[in-house]
Amino acid sequence: MIYQQLINGIMLGASYSLVAIGYTLIFGVLNLLYFAHGEVFMVGAFVGLYVVILANANIYVALVGAMIACGALGMLAVFAAVRPVSKDYPLAQLISSIGVTIVLQNMAIYIFGGQQVAFPETIKQELYRIGPVTISSVQIFILVVALMLMVFLWLFIERSKMGRAIRATAENHETAALLGVNVNRVVLVTFIIASSIAGVAGVLDGLKNSNVSPFMGLEVAVKGLVVMLLGGLGNVTGAMIAGLLLGMVEILSAAYIGTTERDFVTFAILILILLYRPSGLFGTRTIEER
Amino acid sequence: MLDQLFDGYTRSILIFTGIHAVAAYSFFLPFKTGQVSLGQAGFLAVGAYAAGIMTQKFGLPFPVAMLIGGLITGAIGVGVGFPALRIKGIYLLLLTLAFAEIVQGVVMTWEYTGGAEGFQGIPYNAYTLDYVYGALVVLIVFFARLERSSLGRAMDSIHEDETAAEVMGVNVVGVKLLAFSLGAFIAGLAGALFAHHVTYVDSITFNILVGVNILMFVVVGGSSTYWGPLLGAAFLSLLPEFLRMLREWLELLPVLWWDSFPMNRVYGFVYEFLDFENEKRLIAYGIILIVMMIVRPDGILTRDGLRRFRFGRKADHA
Repeated sequence: MIYQQLINGIMLGASYSLVAIGYTLIFGVLNLLYFAHGEVFMVGAFVGLYVVILANANIYVALVGAMIACGALGMLAVFAAVRPVSKDYPLAQLISSIGVTIVLQNMAIYIFGGQQVAFPETIKQELYRIGPVTISSVQIFILVVALMLMVFLWLFIERSKMGRAIRATAENHETAALLGVNVNRVVLVTFIIASSIAGVAGVLDGLKNSNVSPFMGLEVAVKGLVVMLLGGLGNVTGAMIAGLLLGMVEILSAAYIGTTERDFVTFAILILILLYRPSGLFGTRTIEER
Repeated sequence: MLDQLFDGYTRSILIFTGIHAVAAYSFFLPFKTGQVSLGQAGFLAVGAYAAGIMTQKFGLPFPVAMLIGGLITGAIGVGVGFPALRIKGIYLLLLTLAFAEIVQGVVMTWEYTGGAEGFQGIPYNAYTLDYVYGALVVLIVFFARLERSSLGRAMDSIHEDETAAEVMGVNVVGVKLLAFSLGAFIAGLAGALFAHHVTYVDSITFNILVGVNILMFVVVGGSSTYWGPLLGAAFLSLLPEFLRMLREWLELLPVLWWDSFPMNRVYGFVYEFLDFENEKRLIAYGIILIVMMIVRPDGILTRDGLRRFRFGRKADHA
């Protein structure tokens, strides 16, 4: 029983992780709470859905399609709503990202309608028994994709030149710029990466719950924020682990305390972390004046 | 009194605009000390439920209930404000967000007020319009006085630089806590007014987007002057109505003007485009928000902007 719950928790946590990674990357390079990230996730789910339905394509094409579409969306967001807003006004940046949220959500409602849409079965549902747990082929697929994505991203951030530039920018804008990092390009690349990961997460979520709706973004957005904080602001590895942890905590509290109390536990954790360990479970660079 | 002046539709728009403005002031007061709260929706909910319980379950008259609702909310504001003293910036944003989410959860599970089915049958208050605008007048007078008082200047100094303010002898903890809980009190009043106008509230009524909206009213209106929240709330509440009206105005144009070739195409296009259903209007609203933040990141009204208006008088905060 508990093993089964842990598997479910990891499933839930994987999508939290993927969204929170994007948040934390963007927060790292821009110090911006990018509110629209949950809606990017939702757009990814819809793009995946329509690739599957209209082009009759398999799930891999859907994932790639969502990735490209959301990457483009991230790029568009940078040019339309992030770069033009002065960096001296953090609240103005927050509000322009809320503007993006409103636009994306209502466009989705306008185009796709305000209802849940069923996500077609693209992977043959098979159940495997491994010791005490039962795991379906869909779950294995989601886990493998999510974990692979996280590993690739980790390698990219830690090993590649661009990854180093992203880390340098997150450390300090001015110093990075002085040392020859093209900060504007780093911000753009960060948005593209973060958005495309969120797109994949959206498709995986649609696959897991077998439905997508224009309103799925908000909850993920809020949970992503919690995870970002748990992992430490700007800490990518922290976000990955914290996402999985939060997923498990939520599933376990839903199973043993009650479904309605689940969110209490989440936000109680958030408040405790804020008060006693604001640098997150795994620490972060600085906390002053954030 | 006031309500006989307007038809029902206008009246309802005016009431919501006024309540938005009161809520915006509830954000503005803690913001004066540099505390940014995303959780005002939580305080609105507390005020709405507390006052609703007072009128519906205990049969108290509305003004008393509203005051009790405000006081309860203010007390809870002290409770939230204490831990909030320790943190700032994005952490405070997240703390207040978590508070709002927890309130939403409590409201949803509390059977006494209907739980997930919502709090139904709150007595209707026929004089909401008078109360709302009365409250607004009081608030504006209060903020105008605050601007020139030592307390107001202490708040501004904390906003600028907390350490410097402390060194200069400002009681930073006390002032911040006072601002936060007074803000909660005002939010409680707004919640009470709202609940007794719509007569039904549930957990979704006060979701986090409400808190986000309140933040937007203040930043869009201009957060450096006390006219900003009022202007922002009015601007953003009336904007969707204005977008709705545009098409009706188009219909008023004489047919002769657009009936021949080039104009009928233009007219047709504009008319189609202005066919603002809810989603389209909100898309336009979002775009306008982004453009506003690009053009005027510190809001429509600024202190300097205001100063230019009153060139006859000497600026009082030089």
